[in-house]
Amino acid sequence: MGKQKPELPQGTLDMLVLKALSLGPMHGYGVGQRIGQLAEEMLKVQEGTLYPALYRIEQRGWIKSEWGVSENKRRARFYMLTRTGRKQLEVEEAKWSHLSLAIAKVLRTA
Amino acid sequence: MGWLTKLGMRLRALRRGDEVYREIAEEWQFHIDLRTEENIRRGMMPEEARQSAERHFGNSAYLKDVSWDARGGGLVEALWQDLRYGLRMLRKSPGFTAVVILTLALGIGANAAIFSVVNALVLRPVPVYAPSEIVSLAHEQAGLSSNGFSYPDFDDIRNQTTSVFRDLTGGQPFVMDGLSMKGQNQSIWMDFVTMNFFQVMGIRPALGTFFQPANGKIEGSDPVLVVSYSFWQTHLGADPNVVGRSASINGHPVTIIGVAPKGFGGIFPILDTQGYSPIGLAAVTADSPEDFLTDRKAENLILVGRLKSGASIGQAQSALAVVARRLSQQYPDIRKWHSLQAFPIGPAGPVSSASDLTGIASMAAFFLVLVGLVLVLACLNVANLVLVRAAAREREMAVRAALGAGRGRLARQLLTESLLLALLGCIGGIFLGIGASRGVNAINFKSAIPLVFNVSFDWRVFAYTFGAALLTEILVGLTPAIRTARGNLTGLLHENPRTGTARRQRTRSILVVAELSGSLMLLIVAGLFVRSLRSAERSDLGFDPDHVVNLTVAPMQAGYNQAQAMSFLKQLLQEARALPGVESASLAATIPMGYYNHADELTIQGYQTPPGQRRPAAGYNAVSPDYFRTMRIPRIQGRDFRDSDDDSSPYVAIVNEEMANTYWPNQNPLGKHFVVGTDTTHPIQIVGVVKNSHTHHITGSFYPYFYRPFGQSYHNPSSIQLRTELPSATAFHQTLDLIHSLAPAMPVFDVRTMRQALDTLNGLLLYQIGAVLTASLGILGLLLGLVGVYGVVSYAASQRTHEIGIRMALGAAPSQVLRMILGQGLVVVSAGVVLGALLAGGIGRLARDFLSGVSPTDPFTYVSASAVLAVVALLACFVPARRAMRVDPMVALRHE
Repeated sequence: MGKQKPELPQGTLDMLVLKALSLGPMHGYGVGQRIGQLAEEMLKVQEGTLYPALYRIEQRGWIKSEWGVSENKRRARFYMLTRTGRKQLEVEEAKWSHLSLAIAKVLRTA
Repeated sequence: MGWLTKLGMRLRALRRGDEVYREIAEEWQFHIDLRTEENIRRGMMPEEARQSAERHFGNSAYLKDVSWDARGGGLVEALWQDLRYGLRMLRKSPGFTAVVILTLALGIGANAAIFSVVNALVLRPVPVYAPSEIVSLAHEQAGLSSNGFSYPDFDDIRNQTTSVFRDLTGGQPFVMDGLSMKGQNQSIWMDFVTMNFFQVMGIRPALGTFFQPANGKIEGSDPVLVVSYSFWQTHLGADPNVVGRSASINGHPVTIIGVAPKGFGGIFPILDTQGYSPIGLAAVTADSPEDFLTDRKAENLILVGRLKSGASIGQAQSALAVVARRLSQQYPDIRKWHSLQAFPIGPAGPVSSASDLTGIASMAAFFLVLVGLVLVLACLNVANLVLVRAAAREREMAVRAALGAGRGRLARQLLTESLLLALLGCIGGIFLGIGASRGVNAINFKSAIPLVFNVSFDWRVFAYTFGAALLTEILVGLTPAIRTARGNLTGLLHENPRTGTARRQRTRSILVVAELSGSLMLLIVAGLFVRSLRSAERSDLGFDPDHVVNLTVAPMQAGYNQAQAMSFLKQLLQEARALPGVESASLAATIPMGYYNHADELTIQGYQTPPGQRRPAAGYNAVSPDYFRTMRIPRIQGRDFRDSDDDSSPYVAIVNEEMANTYWPNQNPLGKHFVVGTDTTHPIQIVGVVKNSHTHHITGSFYPYFYRPFGQSYHNPSSIQLRTELPSATAFHQTLDLIHSLAPAMPVFDVRTMRQALDTLNGLLLYQIGAVLTASLGILGLLLGLVGVYGVVSYAASQRTHEIGIRMALGAAPSQVLRMILGQGLVVVSAGVVLGALLAGGIGRLARDFLSGVSPTDPFTYVSASAVLAVVALLACFVPARRAMRVDPMVALRHE
């Protein structure tokens, strides 16, 4: 299944979900699609991890959900970023770019 | 998300769990539909497109469960969810669930049953007012403890202890008499008590009144009778007008004045005393000597006192010690009381020494320890099973942890599951326990005397069972939960399931060793008790119990006086001897191992009591000629009794060897004389010596014993014994016909073969109960051990399937694999056997007092019990080992 594509480092899925939702409310399927598009199909999020991640993030209060109508006129649960979620995204983005910069430096030296 | 929304979500999750599931399902369905459409756009066939979309969700039911976890998270909903989830998991593995619940139910049920018996015999308070104030008295004289007092003793003690006792009462307990009412005769077990008896007990009559102390100065001037509640119910038809009715006891008219309250059992609560009359009536109605109210040597009263509120038993002891000293000074020739003590009264009634009390208590403690061991075994077993499951579910747990379930949450999930199991086991156990104690209640004690053995489930039993259950819950529940809370769960996700099993395996092996050693202890104890029973059954009784039938008649209860009774018995004997198939027939006052025993002090000319020993005394029986032929007790010297040995001829006796050797050592006892009790006018001459035989207990040493001719020592009731080759039913039938043709209203009881008579309380019954009880516990322990060994070995084998595959692929023979697995089992089994045998030494020492004819370290028992356990345990290893041996290397290698 997703074995050809790299696995996500731990904890990054939450950040990606937040990022995807920062572009606007979206249902679960859309979140997965959107992450895929943003990564130019280099990443694929498994359904088995995506939904538990959504529920977990909702628990933490970073996103909220409500039932709405999808583009093809079907009932769907839409997730949207909350204010704390937006702040969390900023924090995580900052942390991540700091970390990836550091890792990149290390790898270059080696 | 605001707290309000959050709360709403949680409440929704709690109240409508199904809806949460539905919402998740709908959300996922939407996802699958979109994915399917996309797949079709990419060129898949519709069916394939849908399948592919669904596949992405994998095991969706399982995923939903863990998603639910993530959506929930509150305590209450989590608990509710855990319960639902737990039940679902238990339903999914019915075999595991059934074994665990059954194991726990057996362990707890056995405990409830044993404890309910202990409760009935030791703990339950006597049904009187403030039972903790009630004590019984006992004294010690010449190294002999007794709770028999004379009426003058009673008077003295009562008058001199008013500082500690509110009052003292006494009674001659449990005498069988004949009650006649409206021309109907029946036997009745009576307590003859002092007038203040019911006041001291502090009970009120269910009907009518009790004795009125003010009525007469002289005890027993009132010919009145109080009947017990159960007697009133079962024998008097619960007649509401019973008060005031006249009746007669052994032919003496009395008036029924009241009915005792329900559940009240008299001086001995465990005996079903049926009637109460004033002490003075005992002299006229029972076969008590007429002067027993004034004779200080007639020690046939049991004394019961009620302590003053606030007075301690210790204060009572010191007051009683003073009285004992005073009386010993006053009557130095007959009162040499070493001590005079008060003891609390339990359900078993007054005791005669402190060692009686501790004897009962240690018996109770012993069986509680045994059955507690069974519960521990059950817990170990279940803990082991739960650990196996926990190991098998570690990956599941790791997945759930990865999906966001907290560690505490997972531990709680496991705890909930085990608690659920334990709870179900406990419920099962309580039902089993109630059933078992009902079973105990239904045991026929084959006793000639009516027992009140009310093993009911009262709050004490419930509390104990609940405590045992709670302990079980904690032990069983915490084991896996602690492991999960400690373990590195996320690590496990990446871990090969085969690694890291060695450590787990060790824990489980230790548990199984503990279990096996416990099983062996139980088996050894069972073996000891069974051997004890065997030895009792095989013990040489000194008489031949086969082909003898016994019937007891009570002419006095039918209103016969002594002369009439004697002529009736004489005629009965004569005609019984003429019955077809009867080899010999004889009369006896007592039957071996029966309820009645007669014993008296003796005065023997020329015999010096060695210092520190009790005065000469012996048990005796009154028998007719031919008794020794009927019982096949060999005569060594002298002659048998003759019909001419009656009141008009010189008194004679036949003694047993023990008596001859004790009191006339190295002398010819024939022709020697002795005096029984105070009857100096009738010195008795020895005319014969017979072999020793057991009379009171089936085993143990022989006591000095002698026989008197029935014609010189009338006893009521008396038994007729017949030796016959006829089937016992025929023999009983024709003898009963004969008795009733001679005396239609004659009460006949204890109609038993001599073999049956041996299965009674004084005979084999206690040995049988002990053997059955310990054997049941032993078998239970063996089963639990078996399950434990099988579980651990088969799990270990299945964990090593891969390794076995490699070994076999590399050329190992199946027999080598078998040896390897068996070897592992062998180590565990041997460790268990060695440890168990060592521990059994300790528990055997506790059992010593309850065994006879077998040493508590009996090597045969140890070896055979160990062998049985080892064989059974190795068989349990063999099954999984064979399975491992047959593993197909290719399958095993692919096995993941």
